[in-house]
Amino acid sequence: MKNVVRALRTQADISQAALAEAMGVSRQTINSIETGRYLPSLPLAIALARYFETTVEETFFDA
Amino acid sequence: MHDVKATLHTLYVPGVAILIGIAYFVAGLVGDDTRFGVIGLALMTAVAGAWVVLARYSETVKGLMDRKDERIRGIDKDASLFAGWILIVAVIGAFVVQVARGADTSPYAELGAIGGVAYIGAVIVLRLRR
Repeated sequence: MKNVVRALRTQADISQAALAEAMGVSRQTINSIETGRYLPSLPLAIALARYFETTVEETFFDA
Repeated sequence: MHDVKATLHTLYVPGVAILIGIAYFVAGLVGDDTRFGVIGLALMTAVAGAWVVLARYSETVKGLMDRKDERIRGIDKDASLFAGWILIVAVIGAFVVQVARGADTSPYAELGAIGGVAYIGAVIVLRLRR
């Protein structure tokens, strides 16, 4: 599964650390999600999508 | 309130380490082996201190202590599962070796039984909750 979290984050001009703080997770977890090594839980995926004012389907999708 | 909860979570691992150290100390005193008790308490206190210090430098250690990060919690769960499987293999292996030797199977038989009962109990409880 692919995602556009890194693109959304850079568009919003925020750091991984700031996004991690907003999501209540570690910076490493944000990095792992962006590189596709870690697939977040549904609550975290929804929180990420809401943070960037988009949908889960647009943020996470099948390659 | 949230900060108090977060602090308690952070103190959980070092707290458990110190409690184990106190158990070693009391066991040493009761068993008339004060040296074991003192060294055990000192060692476990050092482990607790090392966790606190390492948490300042390692995001993974910090995550294992505060339990806030779902990815770290998942890593902890999978690592515990792996360690559990290794323990099960070791206990069953030792049990089989003892049987082959014609020796007493204790404590491996008891440990295996505890593991089996714990697994079945966990499956029943989790099945009722999910």
